Amino acid sequence: MSTSAPAATRPDQAAPSKTPHTRRQLTPWALLSPAGLVVLVITIVPIALLIFYSFTDYDQRSLFTGEWSAVGLDQYGQIFTSSAFWHSVLRTLWFTAALVIGTMLIGAGVAQLMTRITSWLRYVVTIILVLAWGVPNVASSVVWNFLFEPGYGIVNWLLTQLHIFGDMTSTDWGNSTPLAFTSIWLLIVWQAVPFVALTLYAALLQVPDGPVEAAYIDGASEWRIWWNIKLAYLRPTLLLIVILSIIWDANVFNQIWLVSEGGPDESTSTLGVYTFKKAFVGFDVGTGAAISVVTTVLLIVVTSVYIRNLLRAGEDL
Amino acid sequence: MATSEETSRPVAPTSKRRAPGRRRKKGRLANLLAIIFCLVWILPVYWMLNTAFKPRSAVLTSTPQFVPHEPTLRNFNVAITQTDFLIDLRNSVIVVGSALVVAIVLGFFAAAALSRFKFRGRRTVMVTLLIVQMMPMTSLLIPMFIVFSQAGLLGTYYGLILAYVAIVLPFSIWVMRGFFVTIPTEIDEAARIDGASTWQILTRIWFPLVGPGVIATGIFAFITAWNDYMFASVFMKSQSMYTLPVWLASFQTPMTGTDFGGQMAGSVLFSLPVVIFFLFVQRRLVAGISAGAVKG
Repeated sequence: MSTSAPAATRPDQAAPSKTPHTRRQLTPWALLSPAGLVVLVITIVPIALLIFYSFTDYDQRSLFTGEWSAVGLDQYGQIFTSSAFWHSVLRTLWFTAALVIGTMLIGAGVAQLMTRITSWLRYVVTIILVLAWGVPNVASSVVWNFLFEPGYGIVNWLLTQLHIFGDMTSTDWGNSTPLAFTSIWLLIVWQAVPFVALTLYAALLQVPDGPVEAAYIDGASEWRIWWNIKLAYLRPTLLLIVILSIIWDANVFNQIWLVSEGGPDESTSTLGVYTFKKAFVGFDVGTGAAISVVTTVLLIVVTSVYIRNLLRAGEDL
Repeated sequence: MATSEETSRPVAPTSKRRAPGRRRKKGRLANLLAIIFCLVWILPVYWMLNTAFKPRSAVLTSTPQFVPHEPTLRNFNVAITQTDFLIDLRNSVIVVGSALVVAIVLGFFAAAALSRFKFRGRRTVMVTLLIVQMMPMTSLLIPMFIVFSQAGLLGTYYGLILAYVAIVLPFSIWVMRGFFVTIPTEIDEAARIDGASTWQILTRIWFPLVGPGVIATGIFAFITAWNDYMFASVFMKSQSMYTLPVWLASFQTPMTGTDFGGQMAGSVLFSLPVVIFFLFVQRRLVAGISAGAVKG
């Protein structure tokens, strides 16, 4: 698929002349400007303001009086010397990694499964995936709290029936850091797997039969075929999914907030939750802005490889 | 890791299915794994539905009821009539609907510009859109909160509508562009040769061709805005202005204790439109996101 725009030649002119060319140059801007203006005013300007406010001590008092003072880099200094901040950075990094890895492994497994099961079962799997994907995360978080309810929750009941972990009936998942993380991890992975599985399944169907067939005939193992052939065809899709997953998982807020509120003792508070609490629970909005700036920079650094590839793609973009 | 067992496998170049016996055995294992996966993955949704139809006495039992013994609609009745459901539904529809119209109309033109024309600055625009999408929500929420509180827009529909346009528009442009890219440029050429103006090409050719993509994008944008909890919970402090996600997260019925049955019924009510829409657009969405981003 080439994205090449309509050629600059018009039927009534033998050679491309200056006039239609400049007119063509204006048309896209005319089409783009309404959206462009809106994005500029309600997205770009706020982001500029975010940076501005990160140098001010904007807080609860300022909300009423409108007064604030510039404090320069003070807040950045405070952030970088705060252990709570560094802990939530680390937490965000490893939790994002755990989420992305979990989602990719399960998603790839399910996609592979889908290529080799009977068609009615594939239909059922697809429906279930779409259901899990489609449930709004506010609803799934509310459901999660009920599933993991100590005393009567179905998860505790099922785990007790397994007779592996002993009697878990009254286990409170919100009370211990590893358990809280586990339940949130399960929640996010449960909802993230469908996108990965369905996208990879679609991509797997595009892998041509020829090379796979040839490798079979040459006696290659399933694993090698996956690794050496299918993966090569899947690479662009995989790269995209991984990048999107990193962006989505690093920005997860609702699920953590609604399941644990960052607790117990702030131990599940990732950067998103930490920022939100600073800005909208303590109303230390200026510090919240500074953390937000740092988070954004971190995220851009992590995904910069992808952005650089985009820039390199140059003409085709 | 080519083992001797594998190398000695019969060569059957004519058949499309390789080594039938081995495949079939694998297939059976795959089916079994898939069934286990289905059971695990459906559990949360099933449990939500199951509980929503149980009478209060059957919700919290030491041995769970896997099928409601006496199914009832009482929980739905309570969730709809004894909470602010209808008020908050109205709030959600107004805010999300308005944001959607703005984002889709503006996004359509922008996507056309970014996919059908080559012009200076196009790359800059595309990369800006991409970076904007990667920003954490708080980086938009914080400045908007400050500005809107000064401008008196907090707690109004306008403030939340603006926020949702800001969230949804860059994404909509990006995804719709993915759909535009799939239309062959020869069509544009042919139309121009026949003397069509850009406006005519836009309304008579691109719009019908990209139409399904526009609908899919619209549904996706709807889902994003409909599900937002963060902005709504910060902007809308008075209960009568809550949107449905905030309603659900702070679900309260006149009952004493947590009314899980009502909560699950509320979850079903809130999720239903989203899940139905999702079933329609899921396939297109997978294609759209991949096309949009792989191309971009």
